[in-house]
Amino acid sequence: MTALDSATDAATRGGGPVPRGGGQTVAERAPKRPISPERIAASLTLVALVVLGILAVRDVDISIPAMVQSRGNAENFMARVGGLTFPAPADLAWLIALTVGLVLVGTLLAAVLSVPIAYLAAANTTPGNGWRAAARFIGVLTRALPDVVLAMAFVLMFSLGTLPGILAIGIHSIGMISKMFADAIEQIDEGPRLAIRAAGGSKMQEFTSGILPQVLPSWVATVLHRNDINLRGSVVLGYVGVAGLGLEMSYAFKSLNYGKGLGIALVIFILCVAMEIVSSMVRGAMLGEQKHTRSWIDRILHPRLGAHASTQVERPAWAASPETAVRRPWTAQRIRHTIAGVVAVLVVIGSVLVSQINWMDLITFWAKLPEVAAKFWPPSFGNYDASAMFQAMRETVAIALAATVLTLLPSLLLGSLAARNVAPSSGARGTARLLLVGIRGIPELILAIVLVVITGLGAQAGVIALAIGGIGLLGKLIADSFEEVDRGPERALRAVGATRLQTYTSATVPQGMQALIGHSFYMLDTNIRAATILGIVGGGGVGYYLLNASQGSRYETVTAIVLMILATVLVVEGLAMWMRKVFR
Amino acid sequence: MTASASDALIRLDGVTKTFGTTTALKDASLEVSRGEIVVLLGLSGSGKSTLLRHLDGLEIPTAGSVEVLGAQVPSLKGRALRDLRSRVGFIFQQFELVPSLTVLENVLTGSLSGVRGPRLGLWGYSRASKLTALEHLDRVGLLDRAYQRSDTLSGGQQQRVAIARALMQKPAILLADEPVASLDPESSEQVMALIREIAADEGLTVVCSLHQVDLAISWADRIVGLRHGEVVLDTPTGDLTKSEVMEIYGRVATTTAEIRAVAEELVEAAAQVAAS
Repeated sequence: MTALDSATDAATRGGGPVPRGGGQTVAERAPKRPISPERIAASLTLVALVVLGILAVRDVDISIPAMVQSRGNAENFMARVGGLTFPAPADLAWLIALTVGLVLVGTLLAAVLSVPIAYLAAANTTPGNGWRAAARFIGVLTRALPDVVLAMAFVLMFSLGTLPGILAIGIHSIGMISKMFADAIEQIDEGPRLAIRAAGGSKMQEFTSGILPQVLPSWVATVLHRNDINLRGSVVLGYVGVAGLGLEMSYAFKSLNYGKGLGIALVIFILCVAMEIVSSMVRGAMLGEQKHTRSWIDRILHPRLGAHASTQVERPAWAASPETAVRRPWTAQRIRHTIAGVVAVLVVIGSVLVSQINWMDLITFWAKLPEVAAKFWPPSFGNYDASAMFQAMRETVAIALAATVLTLLPSLLLGSLAARNVAPSSGARGTARLLLVGIRGIPELILAIVLVVITGLGAQAGVIALAIGGIGLLGKLIADSFEEVDRGPERALRAVGATRLQTYTSATVPQGMQALIGHSFYMLDTNIRAATILGIVGGGGVGYYLLNASQGSRYETVTAIVLMILATVLVVEGLAMWMRKVFR
Repeated sequence: MTASASDALIRLDGVTKTFGTTTALKDASLEVSRGEIVVLLGLSGSGKSTLLRHLDGLEIPTAGSVEVLGAQVPSLKGRALRDLRSRVGFIFQQFELVPSLTVLENVLTGSLSGVRGPRLGLWGYSRASKLTALEHLDRVGLLDRAYQRSDTLSGGQQQRVAIARALMQKPAILLADEPVASLDPESSEQVMALIREIAADEGLTVVCSLHQVDLAISWADRIVGLRHGEVVLDTPTGDLTKSEVMEIYGRVATTTAEIRAVAEELVEAAAQVAAS
């Protein structure tokens, strides 16, 4: 009998700890849990951020009594609204077309500019590490510059109209789009690309024939997703003078025509939800084609297609000889693709036309550039007190932190209920998903504008607006990552006899934890940018000073504030990257 | 069957290739003359793929010289390298078709080195090249699949599309890296027969890597055995003896299961040799 046998024997007989290795107990012999200093530092930072967030929530003073008090304001406000009014139908249709058009053109501009940047930034296509670093820096920089800040600068350089908005959206969106494009390039199958190289294809041909067909579905999905985000963001562009629904709404609120302002807000909300539904349908159709799964619509249209697919049908007439096969046959699928393509092209052309771009501006812009640029330099706080500016920046960060902390719990709850493997019933899941889509549809700024009117100027409106808006995004991300966890451990725990809640806490949450931390930091990142913008509509923080400086033509102050925002965003971005790395 | 030096299309001389600390090829020399059908035989990791990739300029040797179609491959760059690659067809184990493109477009990518600039979609190619591509598809028996997405085809069909793509290059040499390792026996037979048939019709020189001894003996004119990156065997298939196969397989088997597998292979190989 070996030592191992006797040990297991003793254990099965219930003999307690077996004295081995000099009479040590199991507890003494167990290896010590390895501790990584970096992980401790990261955990402490995480705890510190949560504590700061809770303190910020307390400082903002969102208390139930205050809410009840402000109900009076709300009633007052509602009385003054006196019912929603809308612009004349023709005007409204024009405003909707203009807003959607300029957002689409801006997003497409960003998509086109993102292609070379993504090519340089992806590890498998970049010509060198220097190029890669430069491309990624452009991505981070454009992401850190809020589109509304860019729009302010462009409004100064161009005549009023759509161009400042298009350029602002176009430049700011490069950050996210080029990152997602590059990720898609890094995930391709290298084989087809290698095959084209082996056939003597050039680098350019490798890209267009080997890489592009593989990444295209993911790229289109990214652009559609970003387009949704930009449509919600377009509201605030109106506040700095970009044409469209946002500008109309800002006029209405400034002239205290609350009924009309809220009417336009409602239109924007419906527009956002409609756009979200359309883009998710397009995404679904594309992904469905990729996976060869058939939607229920397909099944109704071609009920017997599945049975035919595998069996060899007789040779179609067009395939009689190579000569007859040169003309591609018009199959139902080809007709569908062609129609979709034509519609897409028409939408793009329509968007460009409707945006009424003043092309002359693009030419005169370069002449004006040195003069305008000179006004922005050197940065200076001017007649603002530097300490007051830092205080305002701190308030912005506090708003973002407080909003993120307030978002966490409701998002976790709603996100879990929306995950297929957690939801107790499909009804509960459907309701949760619907709620998330609805919340995501509300542009945060509209929420903030309405809240500012109710609760008055200040941080409170900003925090509540961001916290509610965040649930839509974070909840969806949490639901998606919970649905992506390995189902094996869940089944194992259920087999052990664990309850639904126990399975959730011991199998689902631990697997989704890393994603949860990553998404929460993404949320903080987004909130900091959003919080600077909120100030513009009166939601507290540094944005208020930014708007004032720009409207007072104190350009060097605009530069100073933008640099301060940029530095803060980059610090948070760096922190988020570090967290994602440590908790991977 | 041995090549006279002047007629050699492929000439490797003392090629060594190291990746970090591992040596993939060790002082490998090989000559292949016009019209020969050669199989590189060896276990996975013996350096077969690395050797093939050198012939197409996909790898640069650490030492030694690689001459293909009269050109020193490692010194080629840009246009000259792409011209050489266009005259050398390459068939991959995993077919390496672009899944979201149609079968016809995949075949047409074989002609990319002959055109300038990128091509997006079918309308980028001339009617003449489309016709040629369709003729190649007809030849591999897949004309009626021309406008289907390539990932809707079975493995054997995909490999036949890849052969049509290689034909599109009008190659002088056809390289095939384990072309049937991912296929079922029936498709394997079809694909190997097709390669042989096309090679005979077009007068192609073929270098194909395989790990199945029986298939190699029945298919090739000449077998080159590789072990740990070294050429350990070079013989016409007719003369292949049991002891030479032992040289390739026997010494690398270490576990009982492997030795048993090798023994079975040897029995089969002996039967094949006896039959031919």
